[in-house]
Amino acid sequence: MAKAPKPPKDKKPASGGGKSAVWLSGLACGALVAIAPGTAALAFGLLAPGLLAAKFDREAGRPVARAVLLCGLAGCVHPTIALWNMGQSFDTAMAILSDPATLGRAWAAAAAGWLMTQAIPLGVRAALEAGAIARTARLRLLRERIAEAWGLDDPPGTAG
Amino acid sequence: MADTDPNPLVGGFYRVDLAQPLPEAAGGLSAFAAIDRRGNRAPAMAIRADRRAPVRNRALQTLTTHIDGMLSPLAHGPGPDVGGEAGWYVICEAPIGRPLSASPRPWSEGALIDLVLRPAAYALEQLREHGLTHRAIRPGNVFQAAPNRPVTLGAAWAAPPAMHQPAVFETAYAAMCIPTGRGDGTIADDVYALGVLLIALALGRDPLAGLDPLSIVHRKLELGDYAALTAGERLPPLLADLARGMLAEDPDHRPPPSLLRDPGSARGRRVAARPPAHASRPFRMGGLTVWNNRTLAMAAAFSPAETVAAIETGTLTYWLRRGLGDSALAVKLDDLSRGRPAEASGDKAASAAFLAMRAAMSADTLMPICWRGLILFPGGFASALAAAYGADPDTASKLDDIVQLEIATLWATMREDRESSASHIADGRRWRAIARAKGPASGLPRLAYTLDPLMPCASPLFAGKWIYQAGQLAAALDAAAVSKDVELLEPAIAAFIAARTERWLDTEVKALAGPSDAAGSAMNALRLFAELQSRFHPAPLPQLAAWIAARAEPLVELWKNRERRAAVEEQLKAQAGAGWISGMAPLLDNAPGLAADRDGLRAAANDLAVLDAELRGLATGGAHRADIAARLGQEIAAGLGVSAVAATLLLAALG
Repeated sequence: MAKAPKPPKDKKPASGGGKSAVWLSGLACGALVAIAPGTAALAFGLLAPGLLAAKFDREAGRPVARAVLLCGLAGCVHPTIALWNMGQSFDTAMAILSDPATLGRAWAAAAAGWLMTQAIPLGVRAALEAGAIARTARLRLLRERIAEAWGLDDPPGTAG
Repeated sequence: MADTDPNPLVGGFYRVDLAQPLPEAAGGLSAFAAIDRRGNRAPAMAIRADRRAPVRNRALQTLTTHIDGMLSPLAHGPGPDVGGEAGWYVICEAPIGRPLSASPRPWSEGALIDLVLRPAAYALEQLREHGLTHRAIRPGNVFQAAPNRPVTLGAAWAAPPAMHQPAVFETAYAAMCIPTGRGDGTIADDVYALGVLLIALALGRDPLAGLDPLSIVHRKLELGDYAALTAGERLPPLLADLARGMLAEDPDHRPPPSLLRDPGSARGRRVAARPPAHASRPFRMGGLTVWNNRTLAMAAAFSPAETVAAIETGTLTYWLRRGLGDSALAVKLDDLSRGRPAEASGDKAASAAFLAMRAAMSADTLMPICWRGLILFPGGFASALAAAYGADPDTASKLDDIVQLEIATLWATMREDRESSASHIADGRRWRAIARAKGPASGLPRLAYTLDPLMPCASPLFAGKWIYQAGQLAAALDAAAVSKDVELLEPAIAAFIAARTERWLDTEVKALAGPSDAAGSAMNALRLFAELQSRFHPAPLPQLAAWIAARAEPLVELWKNRERRAAVEEQLKAQAGAGWISGMAPLLDNAPGLAADRDGLRAAANDLAVLDAELRGLATGGAHRADIAARLGQEIAAGLGVSAVAATLLLAALG
């Protein structure tokens, strides 16, 4: 019997790169916590939905987490500036985090990011389907005209 | 038009008066008084030809002047119908007086010489100079205007040569032939008939009266012609000597007509032939008693199977050696029998027929063609074929053998010492080439029409009509095309067209042998009838055009573009309605247009295939589109996120 071909080895370059990124991210986070614990605490608190999304998003490129993080990041800009203006202390950070409005805006921005990842593909899909239906109708009309002019019957499987 | 006039002028001048039949004037054929529209008062008669017995076209074409002592032909052509049956009439001088058979009586020697022999010999000499023969000399067809007036030979042009001759007035060899297969023969055959006539008139009765033709032939071959005819009765010495010469077995030994005008000289002509050897005991074969070579040849001709059996068992050769004393013939028959298995033909029946014919010819070289019981001279082949085609399948089958196996060539080569076989060989090859051509317009029908230019078309569609020219055919086809289901290009008609229009419609006729599917047949019919109309009948043929239009459906369907097809159909209807087949042909016989149409069809099919593939892609591309939508949507979302970050940073920077 011929030997079955060996399955190609999974080189997983992305996985290796991902591990490095995780280590680098952890190192950066550790550095951030050591150098600026207030900013780190604020960031963790405001970007908590994004971090959760990154944890649970298993799709390649983590598109949901990316959008949630980006939108959440937009919601962190003003509180972070406020923290930096008030001395970057841990207490100040906790005070800002304890403000429901601030936390709500940041998390709402993150939610908006999640919502966009769900709604925009639907809209695009609807647009693509509408285009396909219109083209099908045009092609069928053209086909009928040609078949009628030359007496060619519809081949099986193309009707409907 | 001639075919719409109920009583057309024959030959353009003669009106046939059907109310005045002339029962005794044409030697047994139907004859009527004919009136010359030019005012010529000389009496004329119209002899009605039988559809199955062709007139003697060569004689009618050759005899353009009057011959004394004979009723000369004046014109011929289609004439009035009798009983709904169209007819062909030969106009001849009408006889004055009654035929000699009307008042049988013994004639004196002087009267026979002066009133019968000399005028008849003069007429025969004139015929010989024209290269013709009479072949209808008998008491019922020889006329005397008044006592002591010279006789006149009757008309002999409205039937095949010697067809109506009683066996007694023909040589044994001609008499044993089928009536339509006796052929023109030579002037010596007329001299023979004149000799019998002299004997009959001298005796005052028909010799051998009461005997059937086969017995007459047998008696002549057994006893010799003179002895058989006179049966021991004494004739005047001069007449007896003349009659012996005129009845000589070998035609070369008979006195020519020019010599007969001087009976004294003719009497001195010696007959060199020896009487055939007579056997010491008879040999029975096929119901005939054989006493000599001549009767043996006759038995071989009439009973080929028994002859072959007798040769193969050796009984015949034994009798030839011991009974007849003709060892040379016995050896020859043995050689023929031994050579039989080596013959090229694998057909045992044909091989046996060959052996029987060779045996007959070996026994008597004057014998006609004897093929499976059919006996005829090559000169009578055309008329025999015309008579047999469509009416006598058995005879037609034997005639087909004669053509296919070139029997006439064999016959001629076996008597090479008497006359050259070159013309027979050429004829045989020409006949076979015509008969072997492929397609419906070939075979025996085409040969029959080719050999007899006046033979009417034998198709049942033209029953009662006498269609003998291509020009008549177009109108007749138009009348016959009453329904789409009528088969107009049946073999009898196709062969008729091929024979009568060979030079002009050769291409179209040859195409009939091509594809026989509906479209091919319709195209062949269209081309043939269009050419027939344009060349021979330049007038509308509405029924024929409608017939073609109805059958042209497969041709119209060759056009695949529906718009073009509808246009062709419309134009076809218009042309058919007008009766112009020649206008229909370019519509359907349009190869460049059809090629372009086929190219268009191929392009359309390709377009449809492309469209179908694209439609299938659209129908099955939902998942792909969903995938695209998901990726694109998420990219958009990411982009919006980046934009939001940028906008927030910008707003923060601006304070």
